[in-house]
Amino acid sequence: MLPEVDTGKPPLLFVHGLAHGAWCFAEHWLPAAAEHGFPAYAVSVRGHGASSGSERLRRDRLRDYVHDVVQAAVSLPSQPVLIGHSLGALVVSRVIARYPARAVVLTAPVPPTQGVGLAAHLARTEPATAARIIAGRTVRLRADQLFAAGVAEEHVDRLGAASPLVQYQAAFHRRPDPPLGDPPVLVVGAGADRLIPARLVARTARFYRTEPVVVPGVGHDLMLDAGWDRALKTILNWVDALEERP
Amino acid sequence: MSGPVDAGSVVCVIGAGSSGLAAVKNLREHGFAVECFEREDDVGGNWNFGATNSRVYASTHTISSKPFTQYPDFPMPDDYPDYPHHSQLFAYFRRYADHFGLRRHIRFATIVERVEPAQGGVWDVTVRSRDGAARTRRYGAVVVANGHNWYPKMPHYPGLDAFTGEILHSAQYKGPEVLRNRTVLIVGAGNTGCDLAVEAANNADQVWHSTRRGYWYAPKYVLGRPSDQVADFWLGVRAPLKLRQWLFKAALRATVGDLTRYGLPRPDHEPFETHPIVNSQLVYHVGHGDITPKPDVAAFDGAEVRFVDGTAARPDVVLLATGYLPKFGFVDPDHLNWTDGRPWLYQHIFTPKHESLFVAGLIQPDSGQFTLAHWQTVAIAAYLRARREAPRRAHDFRGRVRSESGQSYTGGASYADSTRHQFEVAHQEYLRGLERTINGLSGARSPLARRVNGSRR
Repeated sequence: MLPEVDTGKPPLLFVHGLAHGAWCFAEHWLPAAAEHGFPAYAVSVRGHGASSGSERLRRDRLRDYVHDVVQAAVSLPSQPVLIGHSLGALVVSRVIARYPARAVVLTAPVPPTQGVGLAAHLARTEPATAARIIAGRTVRLRADQLFAAGVAEEHVDRLGAASPLVQYQAAFHRRPDPPLGDPPVLVVGAGADRLIPARLVARTARFYRTEPVVVPGVGHDLMLDAGWDRALKTILNWVDALEERP
Repeated sequence: MSGPVDAGSVVCVIGAGSSGLAAVKNLREHGFAVECFEREDDVGGNWNFGATNSRVYASTHTISSKPFTQYPDFPMPDDYPDYPHHSQLFAYFRRYADHFGLRRHIRFATIVERVEPAQGGVWDVTVRSRDGAARTRRYGAVVVANGHNWYPKMPHYPGLDAFTGEILHSAQYKGPEVLRNRTVLIVGAGNTGCDLAVEAANNADQVWHSTRRGYWYAPKYVLGRPSDQVADFWLGVRAPLKLRQWLFKAALRATVGDLTRYGLPRPDHEPFETHPIVNSQLVYHVGHGDITPKPDVAAFDGAEVRFVDGTAARPDVVLLATGYLPKFGFVDPDHLNWTDGRPWLYQHIFTPKHESLFVAGLIQPDSGQFTLAHWQTVAIAAYLRARREAPRRAHDFRGRVRSESGQSYTGGASYADSTRHQFEVAHQEYLRGLERTINGLSGARSPLARRVNGSRR
């Protein structure tokens, strides 16, 4: 979504998480960002949203999503701010090791350091979800896992399939290499997140040598839940405050 | 901007072709202010088809496949073919320049006339724009990226000047119009020579192809993939040179077989000992009788060309695909440590004579160029940054520059015809060398291999 007038602000590229697609950003965040003067884009990685490749989904791995996001990033008119949500944050953490983003925002992020902490948390608090991952089946995320309020439940029907391999990789993955070009990084946690608890958000922030910012009262899907506007404002204000590149 | 620039703060890049663009982008990414001068009106250098010094012709494609040709942090679109056309590369460079905001750092239609060292390790660069007077500015560092595939190397044959037919260097060749309804002799078996022989086979009335020796012509595809990707697999598992040579010959045996059966000379060297010649169609056309192989030219005589085996031909047109030479008219060769007719640099980049003068792109890799130019310019940027922030590391590095200049990266092969292969590099070995340099200067430890975007889909 593009703003009506060219403001010269950097483009934003949103990257979705497991079983989601670009649609989750198109609902609120893309038009709102455009209204604030940001050219806003969202990519659906292969086999997700409206992108092709769903027949090969079971064989897809993280590196395929990284490839797709880099392709999307280089197709934009200038270096974007990459905004990765949940598993999309894990993808973005690898994207920035091979493509120099303007800046990076990780929301409700799967920790890029190691996934064992997340796996343990899910095993304790969401055993049914964990069992499905272990069994190599697509997770069936529930409204109460994604949203704090009751307001956004209809979106659960739009969730799609996820690659079982990628689900494993969320728990067992290599540490990403350092980002190219030393971009500024913002880590945003959702205050009422059942899937990614605050201490894991803090771990991600520590990895990127920054302090996490928590948006209170929003669930994991902070782009769809009530409070999506507060979450987006946090991100846009931070981007606006970034120093001009020479 | 007027008056002398603060020494040490702005880097001057000469040329906005594939190497110069990478230099501008990577220097900026490492925090440096950059000013680039480009003689043409647009970026892309040789790939700006139709520009004065561009040497690509209408049908030029890459001979290295996408993943090995592209800048590693700016992959070509997935819908580009394995071996893109020059127009696609030109579009790619323009997008790269736009995407990273490089254009405002480039002064187009401006020629660099002189680069002189000044007091304090800085440089005075004199430029002239197309319609203006000369101006001189002082820069903290200079990156020479003016290309080495544009200044024609003319051969010397007895009687060449008196030949009555038409003579062209491949530098002047832009398309097959000049070949139609004529008989043509192509001299030279580099990639251009083979491309032109195939073009002539498709357009001219009769074609002779003169080569000084037999060569190993690598096909563009093998085992269902671009051949450089297959070759890279074997390099990646550190297969010994002899095994890779055996595999190469086996692949040829399984397809075109014995080259001498076609009348082509037997190579007097092993595969990988010359700059790779990648062409799937040459042997095919020889087998169809569309190209007559000939040995080296002995002399020209009026309308006739005589070859060293005693045979002769009477071509209407002679196309000399005899290559190019690097040319640095604007800088005293001594600054580039000119020895034995060439710059004698460390890793083909760093001159032992100066701490702030660099060369980018002066390599003939056995793989794609731009990938390596990217890492070369990252190495330059890493060195300049170390000079500012980690002088100890920069100092130690200078020691290596002084003691190891001229070391080559041949991957174990010994090149036939060494003067032609002065800038030849085996890319994996060269990349490992650059990786050591970059990581050593920046204190990092990431392997370049993981930073290379392999779009192997």
